[in-house]
Parts: sequence; C-alpha cells; structure tokens
Amino acid sequence: MAREDILVGLEIGTSKVCAVVAEARRDSTMKILGVGVAQSCGVRKGEIVDFDTAGKCVREALADAEEKSDVEIHQVFLSVTGSHIKSFNKRGAIDISPDQEEIRYADLEEVRTVAGEVSLPQANTFVHTLLQHYYIDGQDGVLNPEGMMGSKLEADYHIVHGVRTRIQNNIRCVRELNIGVDDVVFAPVAAAEVIIDPSQRELGGLVIDLGGGTTGYSVFTEGAIKRSGCIAVGGDHVTNDISLGLRLPMARAERLKVEEGGVLFDGSEDVPYITLKDEAGFVGCEVEREHLNNIIYCRLRETFELVKRDLDEGRILSYLGAGVMLTGGGSLIRGIDQLASEVFGLPVRLTRPETVSGITSHFEDPTLSTAIGVTKYAQSVHAPKQEGWLKSTLRRFKSFGG
Amino acid sequence: MIPLPRLQSAETGEFLIKVVGLGGAGCNVLDRLHRDGQGPWELVAVNTDSQALAVSAAPVKIQAGSGVTRGLGAGGDPEMGAQAAQESVEDLRQALEGAAAVFLCVGLGGGTGSGAAPLLASLAGEREALVVVFATMPFGFEGRRRQAQAEEALEALRQSADVVVCFENDRMASLVEPQSAVQEAFAAVDQTVSQSLRAVVTLLHRRGLVHAGLDELTTVLRSRDARCLFGYGEAAGDNRAHDALELALKCPLLGGGDALSQSASVLISVAGGTGLRLDEVQTLMGEFNRHVSQDTQVLFGAAVDPTMGESLSVTILSSTEIAAPLPVRSSVAAEVRRPAVPLQRTARVSTPRPASPPREEVSESEESETSVAAVGGTDLPVRSPDAVVSEAPAPRPRPDARMGRRPGTEMAGGRREARQEQMQFEPASRGRFDKSEPTIVDGEDLDVPAFLRRTPRR
Repeated sequence: MAREDILVGLEIGTSKVCAVVAEARRDSTMKILGVGVAQSCGVRKGEIVDFDTAGKCVREALADAEEKSDVEIHQVFLSVTGSHIKSFNKRGAIDISPDQEEIRYADLEEVRTVAGEVSLPQANTFVHTLLQHYYIDGQDGVLNPEGMMGSKLEADYHIVHGVRTRIQNNIRCVRELNIGVDDVVFAPVAAAEVIIDPSQRELGGLVIDLGGGTTGYSVFTEGAIKRSGCIAVGGDHVTNDISLGLRLPMARAERLKVEEGGVLFDGSEDVPYITLKDEAGFVGCEVEREHLNNIIYCRLRETFELVKRDLDEGRILSYLGAGVMLTGGGSLIRGIDQLASEVFGLPVRLTRPETVSGITSHFEDPTLSTAIGVTKYAQSVHAPKQEGWLKSTLRRFKSFGG
Repeated sequence: MIPLPRLQSAETGEFLIKVVGLGGAGCNVLDRLHRDGQGPWELVAVNTDSQALAVSAAPVKIQAGSGVTRGLGAGGDPEMGAQAAQESVEDLRQALEGAAAVFLCVGLGGGTGSGAAPLLASLAGEREALVVVFATMPFGFEGRRRQAQAEEALEALRQSADVVVCFENDRMASLVEPQSAVQEAFAAVDQTVSQSLRAVVTLLHRRGLVHAGLDELTTVLRSRDARCLFGYGEAAGDNRAHDALELALKCPLLGGGDALSQSASVLISVAGGTGLRLDEVQTLMGEFNRHVSQDTQVLFGAAVDPTMGESLSVTILSSTEIAAPLPVRSSVAAEVRRPAVPLQRTARVSTPRPASPPREEVSESEESETSVAAVGGTDLPVRSPDAVVSEAPAPRPRPDARMGRRPGTEMAGGRREARQEQMQFEPASRGRFDKSEPTIVDGEDLDVPAFLRRTPRR
C-alpha cells in the first residue's frame, strides 16, 4: 500500500487519547483501518497540564492504533481545542487587472493572503483560514472563480486562531515521541467533517461536540462554516458536579453518570432511587435519581445556554434548517436531545461519525467523532494536491508490472 | 484654522483640583506625586510638625495648630490632631477655597491624620467640592492602638467624604519582597497611593475620546459604605493592552479581579499615546468583560494623551458593599409611604443607568429597610422578609450583592437567619478544577457546580 494514502488523526482529549488510522481512497472515501484509544491523564479542559503523563497516554494510544491497523505511524494530524481558540469571519478583496483574461489560481491565493491580514493578539497564531464564499464584482454564489472573468474578486473566510504556545504544547507532546505533526485542526471543525453532510450544510446546522473537557460547536449555513468555538466546560464538569453534589468519589461519580445519568424528569424510570453497591474503599449508598438528574440538567442546560449566547448575537439560529447535531461522549446522556431542543428551539439529532467506510458499526461511536473527523479533514486538505507526472508515470509502471 | 475655544477650556480644566496631604504619611504621598511629575492640581501640605513640613515639596504649606502643638507633631494622639486642625480652621478653609474637587491623602492611625482628616473633609464638603479621600491603614505591626484609631477615623471619614479609597498597608506590602527593607515597603505604599491618585485625577481631567468623568466616577463610587476597588496598570511593548490589564487586575486593591464580578458598576479607563489602536482597546475590553457579570454596568472611558508616549494605561475603579450597618437617618421616613416591592426594586437597580443620581441607591436601601420595619403597623404591599427568602429559588449570593442590598442592614431582628442561609455557598467549591485555570464568563466561575449557581428545575 502506498505510504501517502495513510492518514492518522490524533486527538489528545480530556477523557481519552484517540488515534484513528485511515486509508484515503481516490474516490474521496475513506476506510478506517484501526482505532487506538487510551485513557487520558494530564489533560484538563482540552489542554495538556502534565506533559509527561500526557505523553505516555499518547504513546499508548498510538501503539494501540498501530497494532490494530497494522500500520506504522510516522505522521499524524492533530486536533487542538481549548478556550483560548477563537474565531471570526473576514472578507478579503483584490482587484483583477483589466488586461488579465481570467481569474487565475494565483489570484485565489492572493485574496486569501489579503483576508489573512488581520491583527491578532500578539501571542496568537492562525489555526485555520477556511473559505466560505467567493464573490466576483459583488455577485455571490461563485463556487470556483478560477477561469472566470471579473474585475474584483472578494472572498469570505472563517479564521480560527489561538494562543501559539498552547497549541505548540500539543505538537511538542507528539513530536517528543518522534512522530511528526502534519497539521493541527480545531476540534469542532474536525468533528463537523463527519457529522454534517453537504446538504445539511446548505440547509444550515449547528454541530455541538460535548467532549470531556470542552464543548465545541460549529455552525454551517449556505454550505460554509460560519462560526466555530469552544467552551471550556464538558463532561468532566458534570462528573465534578455529581461528585460534589452527591459526595461521591470522582471515579464513582463518573460511572454513575455514564450508567444512570439523564436529564429527564418525566418519571419514566420506575425506581426513584439508585443503589450504589459498596466497593473497596467506598461505602454503598442510595442516590435519589431526581437529584442526580437535576445536577446533570443544570450543568448541561447552562452549557447549551452558553453556546446559544455565543450564537445569539447574529441571530444565526433562525437560519438553521437542519437543526442541531449533538455528538461526543456527552451526547450519550439520556434525554439530552430534548434538553437541547428546549434550549435552542430547533430539532435535535444525536449523531455519530458517518461518511466513512470500514468496519463501520464499530466506529459509529459519537466519542470518536473528533478523531475520525481529523482524518477526514486531512483527506480533504490533501485531496486537491495533484500528482506529479513523475509519480503518476511511476505508478503506471508499477501497475503494469504488478 | 479656527481655534476651538471650548476644547481649550476643557484642556485647562474646568475645575480646580486640590490635593491635600495631611500628616506625615499624607505629605510623603504629596512628595511622591511631586517627584513623579506635574499634574493638573495644586498641592497643599498640612502638618502639625513644622520640621516635616519644612522639607515638603508642596508649594502651599499649612502648619496646623501651632498653638496646641508648638510646632511639634501631634504625638500619635488623634485628639491633639483634631484640636490642632480646629485651631487652624480658617487657614484650612482658605486653602481649600475655590476647589471643585479635593483629594485628601492621609495616613490613618497617627495623630494628625486620624484627628484632622474628618474635619478637613467636612470643610471641603461645605464648599460643595467633591471630596475623595485616599486613606492608608497602618501596617499590622504598628500595633493595635493605631489600628483602632485608624478604624475610628475611617468611620468618621466615610460620613464626611464622598469617596473613601482605603488602602490597607498590609495588603500593599505584598507588592514588595518579604525580605526587602521596611523603607521599601513604605515607599511602595506611597507609590501605589500616588499612582492611583494620579490615575483618578487624570481620569477627571483628561478629555477622552470616550469621556469618563466626574459623573461616572460618582456613579461608581458614591456610596458611603462601600469598599473601593482600584486597579491600575501601565505597560509598553507589543502586548501592552494585555499586559496593562493584567497588571491592573493584579492590583492588591482589586483582589485578583474576583471582587469585580460582584460590583454593580465598574469604571474602566484606557489611556494611551497617539498610537493607541482600536484593536488594542477591543482586545482589552474583551478580556475585561470576562471578569464582570453581564448585569454590571461598565462605564468605559478612552483617552489619548500624547505624554503617554509608547505606553498604555488601564484604570479600573469600582466598589463593593461591605458588611457594615448603615446608620438610618430619620429624614427618609417620609419616603416610606411609597410602596416598596423588593422584586421591582431589583429590576430597577440592576438595569444600567448612566450617571444615576448618586444618593438614590442609598435612599432605596434605607427605604426598603424602614418599610420592612413598619410592616406590622401599615398595610403596605410589602412582602415579609421570610417570603422574600423562600421565594428566591436558589440562594445566589452574588446577585444580591449586586442589587445594592446591604447585608448588614438585614442583621436587624428576624432577618439574621435568612442572611446566614445566603452566605452558605460563599466559599464555593471547584472540586477537581481547584488548581486549573478558571473558566470565567460574565464574572461567573463555571467550574463551580452549576446546580449551586443556578435555579434548579423544580
């Protein structure tokens, strides 16, 4: 198998480190070869706080992925997140000289450069400059202006930026294992790659990734990304709330959340009390279901409201025909779709990574959205790269011989 | 070009500012101010000790009570200080003549400062000048007696001055290394006081792009029993907006920025040289807004001052309520007739009103308090205290502090229990996020369990 067709997406998350090895096909589909997962330590709110421990977890996840996919990993695409990452939209414009016949590729590059000429805070660096739309002489809806004629080319970009050093920390953590990092991807942008399909992007949709340490969101309208962001509140906070509210150890609170947690109050559960059996180092007790649900409800509702507040300014929510798509580990909480629809007033779907082929049922896990999304993003970025004549000739020779 | 006379008069200052240094510590601050450069003010040094006065750099010097003290100091006796000031009351009155704002720098705890300051403040108040007192409280090691004298004087000052900015020396000592010289600690105190004084004066004096002036200042500070929060930061370099804000938020008088989330209104003023950029102001305000709650009224001022050169300065002023009982004045009894429904009052006070009449907040709280006391006799539509508490679904300490309700006033009678219930959640727990970088949105710490901060579902 050709080396460059293998893409590895790595997510150093707050609850787990996850490496996805995928094979990119020429018809722009993707096949997942293996997924390596390791429990994460030393990461808080999506950012590394303990370098050595986090490094060990990454190594473990990568080793696991190598074993499962039977591929040696040298290069990865890395997802980054954290409350320091911000985004905004910016339009760039250039004049096309009248003696020029048509708009060339170089002009597209130039308009991108112009749009990128913004003053970021001193410590920040660009993570993404994502194209939204082109305009030629004010006419919108131009998908690919290359080869068209016009005197003025404009383009809207969605620019994502974050604190340089905090992003570099993630990269360094991987590089110390002698693994190269091709590129970094903002986690919500990555997750959206596999969660929202082009027709839903056209309709308009909001993707919310309820992660362990952070909650990421991205908004699409008219086929392009309009907003993206990250709130440093996630499943960890839910567990912490339960732990403090019910006076349980963290590990027990986490298990209780996963096994029994919900946000419904309709009395659908027959047993109003949950009995926690005593274990080593933990005396058993009874927990009132309503109390537990209330704790989870308060936190998740607040999280959704924070997301909504970030989006409300532009009244963007009224343009989302495809509604809200929830993913990430938090989306496994019972009744969360109802809660989200209560807050956003939109239809809500629970989603899992799609548009990939492979042993699909196994990988259709919402907790893998970001990591799989990273590989998908990697594929979309690398796809337009044209094969050089030398390479293609060589390949033809190879196929001849083989 | 046509000269604009209006602008010119604005630049020379519409009102006269006098800075009075009282007592040894006050005069030290004056010297510091003088040394740090010119300002739009007149410096007046007042002391009982003629020798100390002789070395003062202030152009106007008044020796108070030469008859009582015979040119020596007040000997740490506030009684003596008060007598001395009383003796020279005419001189003092004359010195304050014509000032629209009087800034009084005083070190409390000693004789002259503690004794004469209240009198001086009321003298200035008589002239209807805005009286701002910058008082420093003695170091803990200076002894109990000085501490007690200082407390007493501070209480008196709160009655007679419009604004009391109180600096606790102990807290400011954190600015210097523990092993540094005592001299250095005192110098640091002087410097902080003079810096903040300069910042406030400049704020009043400088015509900004977005002007923040006397009216805003009084809105923020004019409640007599509030603890003043003050932060000042100045930085130069590429990342100066961020650095200056960080410095300002780190100011010992701001309590690490946490206290800001509890205040009803905050004044922030940004000043820079001609190179002050929009994006700098934007970043700065963006960062700053994370530290205040959504309901907080943020009064913003921006000014360009060519003398600032490459540096950028941030001044933050605010006040929080302190738990001191407010003396009830009988004169407000007439207002009681107006029905006071607590919940309505809440709504009104929390909506931002620029430059509201300064006294209103005080009278409102008094009004509600007296009306509660009168519940038994009249049929006013006032909820009983218990009803207020039980109807509030979640005990949230912060909004209450914001509403301008003074916790101290609730101490009376049956309200004691209710107050305890509210304070219960104050030492908020953050669990496993205890040591991680806090996530603060609108002044709310999101790491604190949501169910403690929010209304439960049922």
